[in-house]
Amino acid sequence: MKHSGKLISVLVPLVSVMMAFVIGCAIIAILGASPVTALQALWTGAFGTARNISTTLSRATPLIFTSLCACFAYRCGVFNLGGEGQFMMGSIICCYIATRTGLTGLPAILLCLLAGAVFGGLWAMIPGILKVFRGQNEMIISIMLNYVASLFMSVIYTNWLRDGTVPQTAAVPDETRLTRIFGRATTGFLIALVVGALIYYFLFNTSMGFQLRAVGLNMTTAEYNGFAVKKYILLSFIVSGAIAGLGGSAELLGTQYRLISGFASGYGFDGVAMALIGQLHPLATMAVAIFFAALRVGSTAMQTATGVPTSVSDIIQALVIVFTVAGLAMVKLPSFKTALARLHMKKEAA
Amino acid sequence: MEELLRMEHITKRFGDVYANRDIDLEVRKGEVHTLLGENGAGKSTLMNVLFGLYQPTEGSIYLRGQKVRIDSPAQAVRLGIGMVHQHFMLVEAMTVFENIILGDKNTKGIFIDKEARKKEIVELSERYGLDVELDKPVTEIAVGAQQRVEILKALYRGAELLVLDEPSAALTDLEVEGLFRMMGKLKEEGKSVIFISHKMREVMRISDRITILRDGRTIRTLDREATTGEELADLMIGRELVPSQYVKVEQAGEPVIALREVDYHKTSKHNGLNGVTLTVGRGEVVGIAGVDGNGQSQLAQVVTGVIAPDAGSVDMKGSTVAQFTPNGFILENVSHIPEDRNKMGLVGDMSVKDNIVLKATGDPRFSAAKGFFLKKKAIRDHALAIQKKYDIRCASIDQEARNLSGGNQQKIILAREMESQPDLLVAVHPTRGLDIGAASFIHDVMIEARDRGCGVLLISADFDEILEVSDRIVVMFEGQVMGEFSGKEPPIDQISLAMAGK
Repeated sequence: MKHSGKLISVLVPLVSVMMAFVIGCAIIAILGASPVTALQALWTGAFGTARNISTTLSRATPLIFTSLCACFAYRCGVFNLGGEGQFMMGSIICCYIATRTGLTGLPAILLCLLAGAVFGGLWAMIPGILKVFRGQNEMIISIMLNYVASLFMSVIYTNWLRDGTVPQTAAVPDETRLTRIFGRATTGFLIALVVGALIYYFLFNTSMGFQLRAVGLNMTTAEYNGFAVKKYILLSFIVSGAIAGLGGSAELLGTQYRLISGFASGYGFDGVAMALIGQLHPLATMAVAIFFAALRVGSTAMQTATGVPTSVSDIIQALVIVFTVAGLAMVKLPSFKTALARLHMKKEAA
Repeated sequence: MEELLRMEHITKRFGDVYANRDIDLEVRKGEVHTLLGENGAGKSTLMNVLFGLYQPTEGSIYLRGQKVRIDSPAQAVRLGIGMVHQHFMLVEAMTVFENIILGDKNTKGIFIDKEARKKEIVELSERYGLDVELDKPVTEIAVGAQQRVEILKALYRGAELLVLDEPSAALTDLEVEGLFRMMGKLKEEGKSVIFISHKMREVMRISDRITILRDGRTIRTLDREATTGEELADLMIGRELVPSQYVKVEQAGEPVIALREVDYHKTSKHNGLNGVTLTVGRGEVVGIAGVDGNGQSQLAQVVTGVIAPDAGSVDMKGSTVAQFTPNGFILENVSHIPEDRNKMGLVGDMSVKDNIVLKATGDPRFSAAKGFFLKKKAIRDHALAIQKKYDIRCASIDQEARNLSGGNQQKIILAREMESQPDLLVAVHPTRGLDIGAASFIHDVMIEARDRGCGVLLISADFDEILEVSDRIVVMFEGQVMGEFSGKEPPIDQISLAMAGK
């Protein structure tokens, strides 16, 4: 049973992706283009050349951070839907340090990353504290704080840190930008990988990570077994926010260089969806983030090459989410479980 | 009198657990028929079968002599069965009136003739003395009034047979009188009532006949006139004394835990503690007997640090406890087999192995560098050894704990809690739902711990279990200690009276 459980958790997203692509192809065909050519263009756009691969990885970097942010909180049984706001708060403080303090180079980079993580963590602490000490719904509060962060960011780029006539901040000076290691991919991507690996290690190889997962799976049992449930919940919010905040810094220093309208828009919820498809496994979640980035990068190439609009890629992405969530719900149904058990017994009998 | 309802050989099985086993029940027209039994005796399951919420595994139901199949509550309502659940099923934001007409199939078309409906309801409420304010939202009326709404709802839909599941639990004495008057009126009109309760005084007052359930089986149906409260109490808890296979300890060691005048939500009869004074010494098993829901859960939570008492003091090994946290009690070497193993004892989605070491991953045996490096091999070896020692039957120790049978799940908890060599073991319904083999294994382990010098507090609604392993028996009723008895040759008559609150 154990074995088949693991198999299913891999199969469900894979089958979902295939189904999404089948429907995507049907749409492409209806639009009058050849699905094969379109998918080829999509693939080449995302992975065809070293440069394209680097673009994909660069696009994946912020998504990895926000999806790890969602993943970490979910693992402790709480829903941090505020990844986007925490991401923005990280990038805001980062922008201030990079453009206004006069610090440049490596010290500035390190300080920016650290401050971004701290600010993201502090921003996530608000729903955490309200949840733990006042029993408030963390989902609603963290979503609402996204709006606060987003509006605060617009104050920043239209007023406080505005540079010139266009509503945007000054660009991060060249020497404070993250090093490009490969095409467009920067050290930010490496940082994301390291964060993911650390989270994986923490969750599955430390006593605290074990207890945090236990809290996430059954709070009452955790409490009865003497775990500091409230501490873990608060901690999971702070760490989760810090991951997003760090991502905000890395994105600003590595890719965007300045705050501008639309910065980080949508990253938060994208992250939640990817964490769900990755079934809260940090490594799988990272793979899913790269996959989604590839779909996005590739779709532009697909549009140029075949005239199929990029929204077809959006449809595929949405379908992957819908199918995976539905599929995971389906395999939990009692009737499905019985059928599976029966299949097992037949196999054993044979 | 004419027969209204007959349930024959009703068996309801959930997995391996029988909630009802070959139950027979016959209700006549115009009678109040009481179902008497402890929690877990199968009363609610039987009524859920009657109301179409569950399908019986076996057995059949006859209404007015006709065999019927009830596959939904809507079907039950059509057949004239009304049910008032222990926990009310009202839409809180709606008014009383809206709740009563909600889902009424007689309202045809889009528009509801509110005035006509209201008139009908007012007539009904006057006829049965069910006083309610129709235009108030349910949130604004008291619990007693909510119950009257539930009853009106059932009567409005034409119930000929009304099931009342522990209706008096939440009522004031005055409201109970009103309830009984209403029941009397229904009887006069030839309607029948199934009354579920374990309050002996009320049962003796209002019932015509009484059916006793125990362990999911029908024990007997008796006429009220031909029985006494004592007889009912005896039948309810089952009184044959089987000599215990364990040697009873008469002299306990020094106290491990001592409660003095502990209060918790004192005014709540069913979920509180009222002036509880209790000591558990080293090397003895203290059994808490009593019908479920008389403060036992709260007692267990106080002595494991889950809740803090409102008043009174708790001494742990001679010093007064200042802070009530589960971790504080665990550090004092208190082990806990909680009452709900899936909700409080296990992390169902984690493996057998993980559940075995749940508490101990920070221990140097299982992790290095203050918990930053789990020794997975050591954990696996330990779990395998425990699995063998406690005979936990599973396909693999990596299997999810939720997929194990109840007995094996309980063994995981037992193993985890006993491996720390506790000074105090608090075991709440440790063998509920288990087969005899698993149950006696758990008893053996408890007695072993006792002989090693551990104090054991056993809380159980299973009276046989209490008699079997307790060295001292304490009876609780409505949050109070009703008496203390020796576990060696226990005076069963007195204990069962104490359990009934006398």
